[in-house]
Amino acid sequence: MSNKKKRYAMLVDLRKCIGCNACAVACKSENDVPLGVWRSWVKKVEKGHYPDSKEFFLPIVCNNCAKPICVTVCPVNASIKRPDGIVYIDPHRCIGCRYCMASCPYGVRYINPRKKIAEKCYWCHHRVDAGLKPACVLVCPTGAIMFGDLNDPRSDIAKAIAKNAVQVIKPDMGTGPQTFYIGLEQGTVEAKKMKEE
Amino acid sequence: MDTQVLYNIFHQDAFGFNIAMYIYLTGVSAGSFILSTLAYGFGLSQYKPLGKVGVVAATIVLIIAPLFLLLHVGMPYRAWHLFIYLNLASPITWGSFLLILYPINCIIYGYFMFKENMKLTRIFALIGIPLAVSVHGYTGFILAFGKARALWNTALMPILFLVSAVISGIALMILIFIIKERFFSKDKRVDRELVFSLGKLLAWMILFDLFLVACDLIVLSISHSDAQAAAHLLLRGKFSFLFLIVENLLGKIVPFILLAVPRLRTLATTIVASILVVVGIFFMRYIVIVAGEFIPLL
Repeated sequence: MSNKKKRYAMLVDLRKCIGCNACAVACKSENDVPLGVWRSWVKKVEKGHYPDSKEFFLPIVCNNCAKPICVTVCPVNASIKRPDGIVYIDPHRCIGCRYCMASCPYGVRYINPRKKIAEKCYWCHHRVDAGLKPACVLVCPTGAIMFGDLNDPRSDIAKAIAKNAVQVIKPDMGTGPQTFYIGLEQGTVEAKKMKEE
Repeated sequence: MDTQVLYNIFHQDAFGFNIAMYIYLTGVSAGSFILSTLAYGFGLSQYKPLGKVGVVAATIVLIIAPLFLLLHVGMPYRAWHLFIYLNLASPITWGSFLLILYPINCIIYGYFMFKENMKLTRIFALIGIPLAVSVHGYTGFILAFGKARALWNTALMPILFLVSAVISGIALMILIFIIKERFFSKDKRVDRELVFSLGKLLAWMILFDLFLVACDLIVLSISHSDAQAAAHLLLRGKFSFLFLIVENLLGKIVPFILLAVPRLRTLATTIVASILVVVGIFFMRYIVIVAGEFIPLL
């Protein structure tokens, strides 16, 4: 299998997500993400009014799109899509023009306050290349996050995506997101109004 | 069903004041350049006094404009990457070459104009017009490529930007021309005929700009949900005062009335109208940039 082309994807089973933020914390620690910015986080919404309400969680990472707009617009080719599908930023090439941040439909990019360049989640490719799982996948206590090779039909993620109804965030953007969700509540993505205390 | 956000992360805005200022200045520059070519490129001799003022203003403004880009980017000393690692799909790559070619062409065009070499002036005027249109038009593509922002992602954006560039260019030229004639010319007299004909041109361009803005808003307000939210933000939401009162009433409708009604046409009202337009178009740039990013993506 090793010489066959890989196509990485992530799958988040929202039925299992308990909103514990372990993924966000592990990501911060693994990638040395500065204060005030996040590569992954859990959006939380409340549907309905207490007691007839439910909280929904949406762990957000970079979608590592199949047709990434950030790669299209980057003027210096610092945003690069690898053949296995991971989209990463070359830190030595980025000039910090923020065009990728302006064009990304998912708002997952930020300017590193110390390095002044754009950064984002790249599915911990330093760990993946070493044969390890991304940090968020490793720490998820309920095993809600899955990562693997879609081109390998025997991988857990390929089986899970084949057997379940999956959704992506904003499919209408035409970016081909590769982070899939099981049991995504529509209002979780669309909700913009902050709850007033 | 009422769904409220309990927790979410919002990263800082990508573009802000510096980009608005940059787009404003390239617009002013392109507008001034196009005015200066009316006499020297197309032979409309009544606009001849504008030629030299126009090209000087266009060049100076366009040399200042990229400084705001250097203030904006995180790594300004890596700007040379723009000329080495090319991505031809990116509007910023187009722009980095236009920002080199256009001022060089302006300087050559101005040089021949001051040397009274009419044939070469005309050639460089005609080369300069597509460059001036592109150097401002490409900023419209920069925003239009932001496909998740309903306010930006419209094919109208480049043409909307070009029309407002011409407006701000004409208004600034009226002001500079009056100051130059009043204080720095030999007879200290302002050519009223020329000022009023520029004023009329400005009035009609303002009308065209209002038409484009109306087209944009009408389609936004019945398009998909993000577009409706953007239209609501401009008409009823947080930016309604800036958009309706400052940009459109004070920046376009009032100047249009001052310039278009013959009874109101004096030098003083033309100056007031031009100042209103110059300020109003800056707010137009600022509103497009900041309001476009105001609605969170997730």
